[in-house]
Amino acid sequence: MSMLELRNVSKVYGGGTTEVDAISDIDLAVDRGSLVAIMGPSGSGKSTLLTIAGTLEQPTTGDVMINGSNVVGMSRNDKARLRRRTIGYVFQDFNLLAGLTAVENVSLPLELDGISMRKARAQGMSALEELGLVDRAESYPDQLSGGERQRVAIARAVVGERSLLLADEPSGALDSVNGEAVMRMILSACHGGVAALVVTHDAKLASWADRVVFLRDGKAVDETLPPQQPEDLLSNDTSSPSES
Amino acid sequence: MTLDSVSFARRPSDGGVPARRAVTRWAWRLLRREWRQQSLVLALIAIAVAVTTVGVGVSTNTPLSPYVGFGSATDLATFSNYGASTTAKIASWHQRYGATDVIENQSVTIPGSVATFDLRSQNPEGPYGRPLLSLVTGHFPTRANETAVTSGVASDFNVKVGSSWRELGVTRKVVGIVENPKNLLDEFALVLPGQVKVANEVTVLFDAGRVGKTSLGSNVITPASVAQSNVLNPQTISIVLVTMAMLLIGLVAIAGFTVLAQRRLRSIGMLGALGATDEHIKLVVRANGFFVGLVGALSGFVVGFAAWLAYRPTLESSAHHVIGLFQLPWIVIIVAVVLAVAAAFFASTRPARAMTRISVVSALAGRPAPPKQLRRSAVPGIIFAVAAFFLLGAAGASGGNGSGVGEVALGFVALTVAVVLLSPFLLTVLDRLSRRAPLAIRMATRDLARYRARSGSALGAISVGVLIAMVVIIASAARFGNVLDYAGPNVSSTQLLIYTPNGPYGPGGPGNASKGGGASSESMTTMARDAHDIAAALGSNKFVKLETTSATLQHAAPGRSYSGPLYVATPQLLEAFGISESSIKPTTEILSMRPGFAGITKMQIVYGNYFANGGPNGAWPCPTSDCLANPSMQEISALPAGTSAPNTVITEYAVHRLRLARATSGWFVETTKPLSAAQLTGARATAAADGLSIESKSTIPTSATIIDWATLVGIMLALGVLAMTIGLIRSETAGDLRILAATGASSRTRRSLTAATAGALALVGAVVGTAAAYLAMIGFSRTNALDGLSSLASVPMANLMAILIAMPAVAAIVGWLAAWREPKGMSGLVIQ
Repeated sequence: MSMLELRNVSKVYGGGTTEVDAISDIDLAVDRGSLVAIMGPSGSGKSTLLTIAGTLEQPTTGDVMINGSNVVGMSRNDKARLRRRTIGYVFQDFNLLAGLTAVENVSLPLELDGISMRKARAQGMSALEELGLVDRAESYPDQLSGGERQRVAIARAVVGERSLLLADEPSGALDSVNGEAVMRMILSACHGGVAALVVTHDAKLASWADRVVFLRDGKAVDETLPPQQPEDLLSNDTSSPSES
Repeated sequence: MTLDSVSFARRPSDGGVPARRAVTRWAWRLLRREWRQQSLVLALIAIAVAVTTVGVGVSTNTPLSPYVGFGSATDLATFSNYGASTTAKIASWHQRYGATDVIENQSVTIPGSVATFDLRSQNPEGPYGRPLLSLVTGHFPTRANETAVTSGVASDFNVKVGSSWRELGVTRKVVGIVENPKNLLDEFALVLPGQVKVANEVTVLFDAGRVGKTSLGSNVITPASVAQSNVLNPQTISIVLVTMAMLLIGLVAIAGFTVLAQRRLRSIGMLGALGATDEHIKLVVRANGFFVGLVGALSGFVVGFAAWLAYRPTLESSAHHVIGLFQLPWIVIIVAVVLAVAAAFFASTRPARAMTRISVVSALAGRPAPPKQLRRSAVPGIIFAVAAFFLLGAAGASGGNGSGVGEVALGFVALTVAVVLLSPFLLTVLDRLSRRAPLAIRMATRDLARYRARSGSALGAISVGVLIAMVVIIASAARFGNVLDYAGPNVSSTQLLIYTPNGPYGPGGPGNASKGGGASSESMTTMARDAHDIAAALGSNKFVKLETTSATLQHAAPGRSYSGPLYVATPQLLEAFGISESSIKPTTEILSMRPGFAGITKMQIVYGNYFANGGPNGAWPCPTSDCLANPSMQEISALPAGTSAPNTVITEYAVHRLRLARATSGWFVETTKPLSAAQLTGARATAAADGLSIESKSTIPTSATIIDWATLVGIMLALGVLAMTIGLIRSETAGDLRILAATGASSRTRRSLTAATAGALALVGAVVGTAAAYLAMIGFSRTNALDGLSSLASVPMANLMAILIAMPAVAAIVGWLAAWREPKGMSGLVIQ
């Protein structure tokens, strides 16, 4: 059973003359321990796909199965619980909560799930230790470098028993060294049994994935396996990474 | 990374206490980090609580508390003597309730003075009276021939500790200086119980538990019965004022919290992405509101208490009683703190709900939810307005005897709710009305209508501020515009009235006709000479003898009746005010400068023994003996306007026709320059020597002063709310502003937009507040027998114009001037 499975998923925004098909008939499965990269030009529906996979948005049609359960039709609270327990997000601009230290940021999903502060903190410290950030645990986000912030974000995404990691341009705001380090961490999480779906513009980073899915105009146009490089498929993409 | 101790199944689905604690902690941290962004609401709350703490402390401690006589007892009985029945009653209470404390007072005149002191017998160790007695020096009397006196008595009789003092035929040794810490003006000489021979007041302090006051007798009072007879006390008034203040602050806070939540949109989106439920997200915003209220209230209390500590010694000396360090009306302060926290908390609930309506994806992208095209009904607001109208009508019908206080309070609460509910709806109306206006105005009104979460509450606050001011203005204008019960200023600062011992109504004034008589011609000559001397000393340019008769005016209809003296229009008086006899119709009986006076119907001149014979009996027209119905009245604007001045006079024609006796009752003096305090003191001293008295300009605020101050306060309140909220409202549309700038709009457009926003809000707020105030006053007056709807005919046009036209204009101008600077980082943001 795949950790994440999208069946015939479509998303339509607006209505009437302003109707836009963000994604159409997407079928995608991500197994535990595997890393899937999504590539495509701006407006191809990469981020929409990720938000639907992460229960942040409802598909117009189709089913989204997470760990065997169809999340379409779930209540808002059930989806929130699923996000707390199963899904971890990593964003390009880190999205750490100001006012909370690194360890508090990491342990927040656990506390939101009802785990006591002391136990959540212990788990958070453990996650930070694995990513080599234990000495920065009490630092606030604005006291961390970009690479450190993204590592804290990854720790927050995998802390607890998360089994699905969704990353939207996780290396977009980092230099190449930090970008590779982040991908290495995501891969390491996958080796630990986490299923990861990563949106990226960087073909080099996508080469770390077990499988790369290409989107164009909301449709999956191709799927390839590394080490084949997908530059030729990206030849029409002239947008900057931040526009994704 | 496994959680071995707590299984999924055992964890609460909403995260339970740990989740709530985590988001509350985050809210607190955010407040600590970003308190500057909330400094406006924090400051408003802190100032309100600080002012309440000091204000209520001063207002309740300045007058003597009605509870001071109780000491530590719960029941207080007073008797005018110590007869057998008193002794029996005290003995019976002693038997039923245990300890009693008896304090006997004999009033003694201080030789050579009209002042008195009390010879007081009181047990210094009594069970209830100890708080009323404290020792300054020496000791309390322990023997029959000993006494302890207050410093005032010691000074009056020139005695000190160790002196021998003979008073009321008894020689006593002064053994101490004492005081009543609850009333430092209480002058007495303390002796042992049983030493007061002729008590003219006996106070018994005891504790009857829960026994009702009536079962003990009408001379027994309890703190509860005192409170019942003193409903409109400083505490009640303070609570009403602080509630109104917190309502206004709450309305401003709604706008503040909404914008703040907007600024935290991405973080809140991330919280949602991490699995926070809607309740968690609401809790973040609400906890922030709660903390803002709590921090503001506590800071305000600390500042207020410090100010109280600093001011307390000054207050003690001016209030003439010892005021304890913590002698504050704590209930009021606690209510103020609770209201402050509640206002901030409830102000945050609307933004909290709004946050949950934004999708996580939009929040993560920092995109606010598009404004909903709500078709908000005006019906709830109209229902509350109608309820307010009828409640105030019920209050008006109660006749102003105090029974309508509840209806007035409820009516104004309903009216305030109506204003707040109707404000967002009116913004939509404004938007529709300005569809053909220039671009800046159109954009401003459209934005106000689109983002009603902030602008609606700001408009509500402005409208409520104007409403309060307008109610004061209209009520004052109605009251002071009443032609019959004329209530303007007494005289101007250049005028002075000198009265004979009979006062302004003369020896045969209303209800006093049978007394007749007056000063002898000899003494009248002396008084006239003194009055002339006073006028000469003041450098007067007008000195008019005032004559009165037994006649006065009466309005034989429900409502207010005529008030004020009715002097005789002597040729000297008319000449002094430049009124030629030819300008008066020969048959005119009454002259008045009061506008509209001549048009009043059912007027009658009553005189002679009218009052002695029973006065008004409801018959109209009145009996011809001692009464003249429908006198001929003429308005003469040249007469002076003061209430004590001869603003309404009876003509010589009427005096002769009614055969009225006349007598000199005083003199009217006018100078070219305002009279100084020294001049008034000198005049008073001269007048007192021969039994005359003087009346000068009263320090009581005049109608014009009250109306002008209310106008000023209303305008300042509205502009203050505007100043506080306009930035918040415009920040909502900062994106539009950036787009405008990017598309080449000049600073003129930006300025016009801010000016139009401020001006539109001020205008609608002024119109709504004024309309609500008139609704309230019409509701009250239409059923009020005393004033009636006609009282509202007196419209303070200048003040109305100041609020309805000048205030919006000032708001627009200030908005224009304040928007000169380009918003920080605008160009960069445009590019982004």
